[in-house]
Amino acid sequence: MTQNNRERLRKAQAAAAKQQRLTRIIGVGAAVLVLVVIGVFVGVLFQNQGKVAASSSITPPNATADGKSVVQNPGKAKAGAPVVELFFDYQCPVCKQFESGYGEAITSLAASGDIELHYRTMTFLDNNLNNDASVRAGVAAMCADTVGKYSDFHNAIYTNQPETEGAGYADSVLRDTIPAAVGITGDNLTTFQSCFDKQATKAFVTNSNDLGTQDMLSVNKQVSTPTVHVNGKDLPVNNIAQTGASGTVDTAALLALFQQYA
Amino acid sequence: MPESAAALPSRRPWPEWVTLAARLILGITLVVAGALKVTRLDASVQSVRLYQLLPWDLTTIVGIALPILEIAVGLLLITGTFTRLAAVLGALLMLAFIIGIASVWARGISIDCGCFGGGGAVEASQTQYPQEIARDVGLFLTGAWAAWRPRSPFAIDNWLFAPTATEPDASESEESPADKEPAR
Repeated sequence: MTQNNRERLRKAQAAAAKQQRLTRIIGVGAAVLVLVVIGVFVGVLFQNQGKVAASSSITPPNATADGKSVVQNPGKAKAGAPVVELFFDYQCPVCKQFESGYGEAITSLAASGDIELHYRTMTFLDNNLNNDASVRAGVAAMCADTVGKYSDFHNAIYTNQPETEGAGYADSVLRDTIPAAVGITGDNLTTFQSCFDKQATKAFVTNSNDLGTQDMLSVNKQVSTPTVHVNGKDLPVNNIAQTGASGTVDTAALLALFQQYA
Repeated sequence: MPESAAALPSRRPWPEWVTLAARLILGITLVVAGALKVTRLDASVQSVRLYQLLPWDLTTIVGIALPILEIAVGLLLITGTFTRLAAVLGALLMLAFIIGIASVWARGISIDCGCFGGGGAVEASQTQYPQEIARDVGLFLTGAWAAWRPRSPFAIDNWLFAPTATEPDASESEESPADKEPAR
């Protein structure tokens, strides 16, 4: 009788201990799961944090409808003119060299309507250089487009590119120095600075980087700048360099090269 | 005198100490790798995209979830919580990284693996695929070992899965039938 009772008590205690152990394991497991879910949630939240409210978002007036690029001299291109897409990042030193060496020749072909020139803003160097200067410079350039100064602003950003890659652009350079240098004044300056302060073109810029990444991955299998596409096909930048030394480019030869790849 | 100094832990068989080392090596590596990426999730997403292995929309989810998963698995390994499960996950992560790096190498794509943040395109001469794969194979082996022999000192599991004292057969048999959890 007492033997039986003791046995029963022992069994009950064992069952209770086992139940407690199971509860403990499930509890800790659930806590770990909850923490991971919270982590992912916070991650997604942070990822979306930088996005501008749709109401204040601005698309540059000279942007293409697909949101990929900004067109130079819109409507000027002759029928059948090659579409030249220039992929660049404002923090890329080689892009600056390319721009100073061949930019003028390329823009002159766009001005004459022999090519349709599309600027495609990339911002992936922010990731490599661990800053946000490419996006901010891109945002400023797009804001300059709203006051009709995109091209000058684009060139002036490269003029102000810091000697050391990764030093980035100060907001004051993008907001004050460059606008003054390219002659954005009065109401235009107010419009520009309001756009820049609200980072109103940021959604366009980050989307442009995404679309550019997709196109470069499918055509070039990698993302790097400067990259030139003619009618959607890759034109190696080295081939452009063969049309003349930096700054002394034969525009006829350059046009012939574009047409050859078109 | 020397025997009594660290009497209890030193009685553990040597594989348990190997497991402790494996846990710490893989766990700390994962936490560091995850922490360096988690502050720049946009960069993490971009890195995943450059592998050109996943559909575009999936890269966003993977780029965000990967660093968080790395930190979580790493912390579980360091603390020795659900060691076997965490070690299996850690080894699977390494396997995925090995496949990813081998695949970009085979396709002739030149990127930095972005394993510890950063990433992006690099010159073909600057790729480090053999070193990166060798490192990840080593880490895979630590995960495989800890999954095979999950028992180790200084682990939460020792408390979490402690056999119930009143159950005589729990302390005798390696795995009592009631134990669903394999980590013990």
